[in-house]
Amino acid sequence: MKTTEAEQSNTLFDALMDAAVDAIIVIDDHGLIRRFNRAAQRMFGYSLEEVRGRNIKMLMPQPHRQKHDGYLARYRKTREASIIGVGRETNGLKRDGTPFPIHLSVGEITGNQVGNYYVGIIRDLTDQKLAEDQVHQLEDQLLHADRLVILGELTAGIAHEINQPLTAIAAYADAGKNLVARGTDLNLQDFQLIYERIAAQSRRAGEVVQRMRKLVRTGTLSKTRHDLNQLIRNILLLFEYEVNKSNVKLEFFSNDALAPMYLDEIQIQQIIVNLVKNSLDALHESGRPDGMIEIRVDRLDKEVAVSVLDNGIGVPENLNKRLFEPFFTTKPKGVGLGLSICKSIAAAHGGSLSFSSPPRGGSCFVLKLPLEYIG
Amino acid sequence: MKMSEYDVCIIDDDEAIRESLRLLLFADGLKSCCFESADDFLEKGQGTTFSCMLLDIRMPGKDGLELFQLLNRESLLYPVIFITGHGDIPLAVSAIKQGAFDFLTKPFEEGELLKKIHAALDSFESNRKRALEDRELRSRIELCTPRELDVMRLLVQGLSNKGIADTLNISPRTVEIHRAHVMEKMDAESLPALVRMVTQLETDEV
Repeated sequence: MKTTEAEQSNTLFDALMDAAVDAIIVIDDHGLIRRFNRAAQRMFGYSLEEVRGRNIKMLMPQPHRQKHDGYLARYRKTREASIIGVGRETNGLKRDGTPFPIHLSVGEITGNQVGNYYVGIIRDLTDQKLAEDQVHQLEDQLLHADRLVILGELTAGIAHEINQPLTAIAAYADAGKNLVARGTDLNLQDFQLIYERIAAQSRRAGEVVQRMRKLVRTGTLSKTRHDLNQLIRNILLLFEYEVNKSNVKLEFFSNDALAPMYLDEIQIQQIIVNLVKNSLDALHESGRPDGMIEIRVDRLDKEVAVSVLDNGIGVPENLNKRLFEPFFTTKPKGVGLGLSICKSIAAAHGGSLSFSSPPRGGSCFVLKLPLEYIG
Repeated sequence: MKMSEYDVCIIDDDEAIRESLRLLLFADGLKSCCFESADDFLEKGQGTTFSCMLLDIRMPGKDGLELFQLLNRESLLYPVIFITGHGDIPLAVSAIKQGAFDFLTKPFEEGELLKKIHAALDSFESNRKRALEDRELRSRIELCTPRELDVMRLLVQGLSNKGIADTLNISPRTVEIHRAHVMEKMDAESLPALVRMVTQLETDEV
């Protein structure tokens, strides 16, 4: 029997479909499955017979499952594509009910008598996502280890610095006590001197804390021109994973009219990182499902304001004033240096960092930088 | 009778620690001299005499342990007590192994501090006495003639006059005269006393 050219091309087409590594699914205008290649069968766990003629939404988890008919109808009416012609990452649903990450690209097949067909090419991202998650986990662990090391060094340094004056204070006090007890022939002036020294050493211990904050101030302030919007965007990239994982809605309202400013990139980044991290912690602690963080850059009269707003647990009013004190913390594993250092950085830039409780709850931190740094 | 100008020599880079220690020891009737670094001590302190050293283990420049190693070579007479912070315990232990007398952790427990210092001062006192005795003994030995030294060596080995005479191939009468000179020059009232003196010197010179 002689095969026609059309039959030959059909066989080749079927062979191509089945040889493809990616899943290929063809649906019609109404979303009904017309073709379902071998890779698709393997990926989703259905045989061709089980899916042919059924609605494609059976392969989608919610909310797409519910909305897909609407997507198609809208596209037929408006021709406004949200996925056709581009690809995107989404989720598929296996026969056993497990959702899995996929990359989906959709193309339109026109010129058909019965109406338009759509072809979806799908790649399973399960392994890739798994690897990414592992990388992120490792990164998290590294960051944590890093913080611990820095913390360890910091606390050892602080311990030594504070131990010195404490040692002297104890020795002066013991000496004074013994001199009195033994009725040593000392006059009041000698004792006055001892008290003065004890007082001086106490102040020295207090200054250790002040010095630590100055370290940040005088350390390595190197101001260069930066687009504040871009600087914040870069930081937010770092939080993308954590934000997605914790289901927080993070919005950034940039101020694109703002000219580049002179600032210490690392230190300003440190402030943003601290504030966003605090917001994430506050949201985590609140446990609310509609957690949101809003970051905005506003040009005020004489300043540029960066505000970080969240609807997390907020700060009780009686603790408001202590927020920026060194070593003050409400976190179980916190050291209480983050905000105090941030405030020093802001001051070093001639600006300020302030806190307010929004009426609807949560926290709002505002970093203000003077406009003279623009240029 | 005290032989040192000062009871305690304090070496610490922190002025407040030096001064408060000095005062605390003064309240206990002890006199201290202070140096602010290892080099400061090496430059100005060499002629100063004291009975015990309080040495900060962590100092800029040469640290306490380095200074101790420098001094230790000349076999110290005075005990050294290290001043350490909380994190320095391994360092302090290594110092003890190298012959330090003790160590004190900041901030000081007053009672512990004074107890250790007095123990160190006592130790210095007995070391010093012994060293003085050794020096005295050595100067007495130098008074003896080579022949008298021969006789003394054999005496402390337990030989009789007769045995010594035979060994040295001299008459017992001559041995008796040498022996009398030895006892007189060494200021030994009896043979056991002489044996003790020679044994002490031999132990200390090892």
